[in-house]
Amino acid sequence: MRSIRRLSDLEGKEAMSEKILEVKNLETSFRLEEGVVVAVAGVSFDVYKGKTLGIVGESGCGKSVTSLSIMRLIPNPPGKITGGEILYKGKNLLDFDAAAMRKVRGNEISMIFQEPMTSLNPVFTIGNQIIEAIALHQNLSKKECRNKAIEMLKLVGIPSPETRIDDYPHQLSGGMRQRVMIAMALSCNPQVLIADEPTTALDVTIQAQILELLRELQNRVGMAMILITHDLGVVAEVCDEVVVMYAGKVVEQGSVEEIFKNPKHPYTRGLLNSIPTMKKDPTGKVKKTRLETIPGIVPNMLHLPKGCRFQDRCTFVLDACRQAEPELRVIKGDDRLPHAIRCIRDI
Amino acid sequence: MLTFLIRRIIAAVPIIFGVALVVFLLFNVVGGDPAIMMVGKHATAQQMADIRHEYGLDKPLPIQFLNYLKEITTFEFGRSYATRQKISDMIVSGIGPSLSLTLPAFFITTLISVILGLFVAYFRGKLIDRIGVILCVIGMSIPSLAYILFGQYYLAYEMRWFPISGYDYSFPGRFDYLALPIVLWLLLSIGYDVRFYRTAILEETSQDYVRTARAKGMSEPRIFLKHVLKNSMVPIVTNVVLEIPLLILGSFLFETFFGIPGLGSITIDALHNSDFPVIKTMAFIMSLLLIFGNILTDIVYSLVDPRVKLK
Repeated sequence: MRSIRRLSDLEGKEAMSEKILEVKNLETSFRLEEGVVVAVAGVSFDVYKGKTLGIVGESGCGKSVTSLSIMRLIPNPPGKITGGEILYKGKNLLDFDAAAMRKVRGNEISMIFQEPMTSLNPVFTIGNQIIEAIALHQNLSKKECRNKAIEMLKLVGIPSPETRIDDYPHQLSGGMRQRVMIAMALSCNPQVLIADEPTTALDVTIQAQILELLRELQNRVGMAMILITHDLGVVAEVCDEVVVMYAGKVVEQGSVEEIFKNPKHPYTRGLLNSIPTMKKDPTGKVKKTRLETIPGIVPNMLHLPKGCRFQDRCTFVLDACRQAEPELRVIKGDDRLPHAIRCIRDI
Repeated sequence: MLTFLIRRIIAAVPIIFGVALVVFLLFNVVGGDPAIMMVGKHATAQQMADIRHEYGLDKPLPIQFLNYLKEITTFEFGRSYATRQKISDMIVSGIGPSLSLTLPAFFITTLISVILGLFVAYFRGKLIDRIGVILCVIGMSIPSLAYILFGQYYLAYEMRWFPISGYDYSFPGRFDYLALPIVLWLLLSIGYDVRFYRTAILEETSQDYVRTARAKGMSEPRIFLKHVLKNSMVPIVTNVVLEIPLLILGSFLFETFFGIPGLGSITIDALHNSDFPVIKTMAFIMSLLLIFGNILTDIVYSLVDPRVKLK
């Protein structure tokens, strides 16, 4: 454990703004019986060492497909990455063959999933499953693998890991299972961790613990993180940069401060307004106001409207919005992720 | 585990009692007068009375039932109407030939089907898988008699690869006669079995833990042979183990067609001859084996799935 910490302190500080992963114009499509759905339509973002990028959006906006595309785990058929580049340390992962990609998965780029209940194999012990990940990528003896697995379990805060390692997943609570998933994902010291809604299936108190754990481990290990979520509270707590996705496209991006203090896209504003608040009136009582919602539903990906994809739900819609789809335009520069919106209006 | 076994065996007692009652009622009350069945309609009153007396059929029904219970608890099932042999002796002599046929046939079939099921499931959606499924459906659609007639006429009579029928009690020698039925058993069951195992395996390939294994960087064949196989074993083993006890009863179809003197042909002969004591005994034994099979399935189930605890 100590060695990890020392390594991370060095790496973490020196390479604060080193670009580790660049996603450029990623396009992923699914061929369905009814037609072709472009679930991710030209998404670009950069991920920096030691930093956390949040990808936010409603269900079906393409955020999970984006993350699975980076891992090249899109089930094919029906899915396929149909365009763009995913540069990991400058090399395009889309050019890798299956064997080279397996060396990346779990080793360079790891992933944890939304459902800790089903993401672990029920018929093998958690130790078996962590050791398996270690043995795949590291040249260690059986004993060393087991010790490393125990060390990882300790790192993620599992009590008495020496005995817990022989437990089956069903003997652990949801939060503990997610910790096991994290231990497994981090067991080979990956450079990038993709967390796909890691706390959605958990109790609120456990959510906070898991987020805290992720942040702490990130500080320790210095890895980059992509956090996929629909929960803006989580974003505010953990992320450095945010990408807001809607119907397969990025509609707004920027640093977390910019997005929360100065949201420019009507969709982002809608999302922020749908968070319940505890605003107090002058007498100090909590004001009970009606919670705002974004009217309407996400468009059918098979029949997207002409022009802006958000037009039918937007309160600021103009005729021009229905003519052509707006480009992503930068409104404020930044050294890592400039604040940009896909909207023609300045509101 | 032990308390589970004891509990289940105790729970089986009333079930067995119920089965005995139903079997008794079916054969002695609902099924008509056993004495008439035995000697035929044209027997004299004296013959009828003698038979009734010999088999205790002149006693009141509750006493008859108690006698029947005594028979089954002591495994003395009386004598066959047709051959006058002791039924317990008939069973003992029939078990050997039956198991010699059914055990190898069943295990060879299961092994090959699971391997083929894994194979086609691995190539799911690809050409190999589609051809496999089509062959399975064709195999399932051909009636079993067609297999047997094809085997006996073409493979045995025309090609002279196998004897047409018969049985030899000597040990390796019996397999000269059993080889053809075993091969036909395999052909007959493989279509259905491969399809069943393929479905059970495919059910697992879309589970989240498979995605996790992929995200670890595991290769597809290893994911298949480790994660998918062990999980799909749960339904497969349950299905397989339930059938094992019934193998003792042999195969009605194969034993009859190939002249194998096992429990299957004993039962069929008994049905032809309205040999009630034998049919009654076989029905009762079959129920016993099913109850036993269920307990065995639960035990094996707990061995493959750590989530199942026997209490």
